Amino acid sequence: MTRNLEAGLLAGAAALAGFGVALVEFAGGGSAEAQVGLTFLIFGAAFGLVHVGIRRFAPMATTTLVPPIALVTVFGFVEIYRLDPDRASLQRWWLVIGALAALLTLAWTGKQGITVLRRYRNIWFATGVVLLLLPLLPDLKVIRGVELNGSRLWIDIDLGFTGMSFQPAEIAKLVLVAFLAAYLADRQPALTQARRQIGRFSFPEPRQLAPLLAIWIGSLGVLVSQRDLGASLLLFSVFIGLIYAATGASGYLTGGLALVAIGGYGAWRVFDHVQRRVTAWLDPFSDFAGAGYQLSQSVFALGTGSLAGSGPGLGRPDLIPNAITDFVFAAVGEEFGFAGSVAVLCGYALIVASGFGIALSSRDRFRKLLATGLSLILGVQTFLIIGGVLRVVPLTGITLPFMSYGGSSLLGNFILVALLARISHEEAT
Amino acid sequence: MNRPTRRLATAIFLAFGVLLGFVTWYQVLAVDRYRNDPRNARTALSESGKERGVIVTRDGVVLAESFPDPDEPTAYLRSYPEGPAYAPVVGYTSLLAGSAGLERTFTDELRSRRDFTISDLIAAALGGDLRPRSLQVTIDPALQTTAYSLLEGQRGAVVAIEPSTGELLAYVSAPSYDPNPLTQPDALDFRQGLLDDPAEPLVDRAGNSLYAPGSTFKTVVAASAIESGLARPETEFPDLLEFPLPNSSATISNFSDGVCSTGDTVTLQVAFSRSCNTVFADLAIRLGAEQLGDTASDFGFNREFELPWPTAESVFLTRELRDDEAALGQSGIGERDVRATPLQMALVAAAIANDGEMMRPFVVRQVFDADGNTERVFEPVRERRVLSPAAAAVMTEMMERVVTNGTGGRASVSGVRVAGKTGTSQGSGGPPDVWFIAFAPVEDPSIAIAVLIEDGGLTGEDATGGALAAPIAAQLISAWLNR
Repeated sequence: MTRNLEAGLLAGAAALAGFGVALVEFAGGGSAEAQVGLTFLIFGAAFGLVHVGIRRFAPMATTTLVPPIALVTVFGFVEIYRLDPDRASLQRWWLVIGALAALLTLAWTGKQGITVLRRYRNIWFATGVVLLLLPLLPDLKVIRGVELNGSRLWIDIDLGFTGMSFQPAEIAKLVLVAFLAAYLADRQPALTQARRQIGRFSFPEPRQLAPLLAIWIGSLGVLVSQRDLGASLLLFSVFIGLIYAATGASGYLTGGLALVAIGGYGAWRVFDHVQRRVTAWLDPFSDFAGAGYQLSQSVFALGTGSLAGSGPGLGRPDLIPNAITDFVFAAVGEEFGFAGSVAVLCGYALIVASGFGIALSSRDRFRKLLATGLSLILGVQTFLIIGGVLRVVPLTGITLPFMSYGGSSLLGNFILVALLARISHEEAT
Repeated sequence: MNRPTRRLATAIFLAFGVLLGFVTWYQVLAVDRYRNDPRNARTALSESGKERGVIVTRDGVVLAESFPDPDEPTAYLRSYPEGPAYAPVVGYTSLLAGSAGLERTFTDELRSRRDFTISDLIAAALGGDLRPRSLQVTIDPALQTTAYSLLEGQRGAVVAIEPSTGELLAYVSAPSYDPNPLTQPDALDFRQGLLDDPAEPLVDRAGNSLYAPGSTFKTVVAASAIESGLARPETEFPDLLEFPLPNSSATISNFSDGVCSTGDTVTLQVAFSRSCNTVFADLAIRLGAEQLGDTASDFGFNREFELPWPTAESVFLTRELRDDEAALGQSGIGERDVRATPLQMALVAAAIANDGEMMRPFVVRQVFDADGNTERVFEPVRERRVLSPAAAAVMTEMMERVVTNGTGGRASVSGVRVAGKTGTSQGSGGPPDVWFIAFAPVEDPSIAIAVLIEDGGLTGEDATGGALAAPIAAQLISAWLNR
């Protein structure tokens, strides 16, 4: 696929976004040519910025990464527009901000090379920890942590003339993966070589287990302090996956699974909200009017959508609580049907495949680990939230990358894509 | 070091495969389960406000129609111009209160399939018509409204059938309800009022309530005896003051507490016209549970009819009565464990009227497309032969004499030969449920009727089928033949 074809696909996605908005307006019996045009232009501008950034700063990057991202972004945006036009116009501007951030990331890493990230390893670690702790801030007038739906994962920033909410975990996951990739690239020998022999069994040195336990405790800390099941599980599984990728020692995976089981059981025992989620997951209909309502509405939406869907604007995804954030996939499933659901799943499969493709073709150790970590973030996060909506796993309440409403999520994921594109470029030259 | 990364990628793709499998389950394999779940409001919400087809009677009286909502240009409202009289047939469709009757069972035909979806475009491109279709029902409006007004102030039902086709001419349950408020925003309050009403207006007494059929069941017993050759109208039976039930200290006496005729012997014909319990308890035991049960089943007992809405199954417990002659004797006079719907007893009359052949009852005659072209015609269907033509002719004669010279005198219509049978069921204490089944004219029957009035109606304790139900049948026959 040539760069020009990629540009064509992005323009097509922008047209699709405008077309989706037009369909929603048509279904509602109104006409909003301005919204159609604005959506087309802003999508064109945002993905145009990303594209120009890639042409300028990562010209050799793979062309299969950005088009599927544009596709799923369009699906998510049409549903957000259909459910909440006001927030959709905010989302449009966040899209531009995300694209600008991607452009800046490309420019910065383009000048210095992606390995510049390796140099600031400890800064990333500190930044990540601070970001994760931010929501615990008391009210400091300018900035304060906010509790929402039982979880404390937001901060409000109030600068007097304007205010905004931000979800620091969306950025924290990036810097922490950057830290861990750098750390593992530096520490490779120490983690794989030494093993202690006791009788017929060989065990890793106790100090090798230290990072694993540190990550576990850190993740549990996120869970306990912020009650954020999703972020906690995401961070933990991505880190375990990354350590496994670095060492090839499958013991980290089994050990990680065991720790997830222990942590999960403990969380289930201790936290009401975890128990409620597990009960609602196992049988949402037993408490239809209460804890199971959201998941019941989700499967009703999917079933009613059936093969072809109701069509954008013609279903009732408004019956699903939080349809524009956690449940945006169910909203797409209802209005675009099985066809839309499969398109979205294929889109994510392509994105993740491109990411892992970049990792696998990387020769440099740091770049390979960073690409693996970033791909894992996308893959695991997508699986956790879509799996939650489909009742494959308990609902964890994290955003669906590129599709859910939310500025921090879009911003973080656009930076993530820029990093992947840059790695792809560097490994191709 | 690519192997672990490749494995991680594989794991992610397997996980995505699981997601694909679940999506396939929800959106392809288990669609009906989730789409039709009663707690899923989506279907009702999408139907609400859309145009639906018209329901009309055979002579064009509109029973249900959609009209544009004056407040919202794109939406439609549903109305039922004929109100309560037709509610058990037409039913209603309501966003809040659900649906019933034809509105429910024929919703696929009545609804507009214009959903503004891509499937619409494809269907339209292939020449499909997405507009709602309309129904014509077999109900005769004069008969339906007359029957409804004759039951006023009482709880009961009238079912009238055209014997040669099975077309339902009237299907009335009283008291009834006005379906129009159920389409309004305060539908749930209105429905709660109906549910709390002790007269139970939402109950379909014509097809979904079971009553002891009383002496109308003697029609089935007599038909069984004549069809099997066990007895003829002239066959003589002992005329007892009390019939002693076998293996029991209980006895069965006649309604008058006297003998049936002279106290010596009595013919089946006289016992039938005078509705003598002693003879029919005796006859039921002589027939045996198997023979009587076979005839009852041929008449439709122990079977469900769909009109197309489902109806209750009338009951004759052959197996339980096989070894219990006392209970069999009591069942022979339509008490004990025998239960029937008014629909079932109308079918008994209709089968005899149609030379022993029962036609399947139905209420929708035609489906029209939006341009008024007939799209589907429901032809009469033979349900089964119940009696030989000869036996049916004998039964007709016996039933005619109930009206000319027996308990059904008040069902006579001047200039018309009417055949019938009275019933007064004691049931479970309190005033009796009274019955009359009939058909006319005898020489070429065009209507078969069952009339039921619960708890003695307006006449209370003293009510009998002959006094209370028979005159209603007469008026309906007269109204039908003079239409």
